[in-house]
Amino acid sequence: MKNQNKGQIRIIEAFLAVLIIFSAFAVSANLTVSQKETRHNELAALGLQTLMKLDSDGNLSCLIDSGDWFSLREALKLALPSGVVFNLTVYNEQMQQVNTEVISNGAFSSQDIAFIEYLCTSENPVFRCYILHLYLGVAS
Amino acid sequence: MKKFRSNSSGQLLIVAALAIAILIASTTLYVYELSKEKTGAGPPAMNDFILAVKQNTRKALISALANFSNGGENTVLTEDLSEFAQVLISLKVPGVYKLTYTVLNSSGYENGFRLSWNTNNIGSSSAYANFTLEAYEIPSNITLQYAVNITTTVTLQGSYTLTGTEKNVTLTCKVFNEEEPSLAKNITVYYEDAGSWIQANASNNLIITNYGNGTYTINFTVQTSSNVLQVSAHVYDLRGIFTRVNATCSSA
Repeated sequence: MKNQNKGQIRIIEAFLAVLIIFSAFAVSANLTVSQKETRHNELAALGLQTLMKLDSDGNLSCLIDSGDWFSLREALKLALPSGVVFNLTVYNEQMQQVNTEVISNGAFSSQDIAFIEYLCTSENPVFRCYILHLYLGVAS
Repeated sequence: MKKFRSNSSGQLLIVAALAIAILIASTTLYVYELSKEKTGAGPPAMNDFILAVKQNTRKALISALANFSNGGENTVLTEDLSEFAQVLISLKVPGVYKLTYTVLNSSGYENGFRLSWNTNNIGSSSAYANFTLEAYEIPSNITLQYAVNITTTVTLQGSYTLTGTEKNVTLTCKVFNEEEPSLAKNITVYYEDAGSWIQANASNNLIITNYGNGTYTINFTVQTSSNVLQVSAHVYDLRGIFTRVNATCSSA
């Protein structure tokens, strides 16, 4: 009886061993997924901080008020790290698009795109609120 | 010994597999932690967004004060803040951000504004509001109370020397934003002659020297009969906030 079951037990043991190794791979894969999520959050935080930096001295609203989309694109290019692709759209309070030119530095090639919504007010005597939609991706 | 080996070889396989699994998992975990440390992963951007809201409430006060000091309605601050709060709550950001505000109506402030332009040697334009920002975002709710005070202060002092019937006037004008020295966008100088205010210009040899640190020296010449000369400076700071300041000049 013992000799007859020996082969089956070996198979079960081998199966268990394979199962253990595969579970290690499964845990590792999950860690990679959460790392991707962290990268996405980092990209969103980077976008928000960049907009805040440009807005801190009133430059961002000044460029929007004057409709200087070229300078706004150049400012974003300088403020964001190289290798980050962006696309910015400026809306007024009625969610009508304000920018008449595309504010972007290229097309998105990756699936992982972060979205940042930012509220920017104007320092001009005529008060205006702008809603900014910034999309960020990492160039592949 | 041989018998033991033969019986335990399957268990040894499991133990070896377990060791390999632990090795794989720990290596991946180590690499993950290392990369997390390197890139400095932080929490979601709730704190940054709160800072952005604070920054923009400040800008709203600057806008309202620039409007009011240039002759706008004194309800402009309440209207602007109401608009800002409405747009803020309609945003599609993660979480809900609710902003409530109270404009100051005491200590010389009315509807959040105070223009103090009639005191000799110092003039100021101020806006003040208290805010409560409630941020609801899983897993944390934050209630933040803060006050924003925007003040442009201008000081003016001076004297004159007589050259025949002509007075050579020298004024020192200092501009401050929230008590920090700041630059002016434009300074216009007036002097009083026979009860009316006259703008000093090139015909008065007007020279304004900018020291780049918020201090300006103003020199001009006038021909008036009175011993005491009343002067006034109308100043726009870089934010577009207007402030007027008067001074009395006597012979140096």
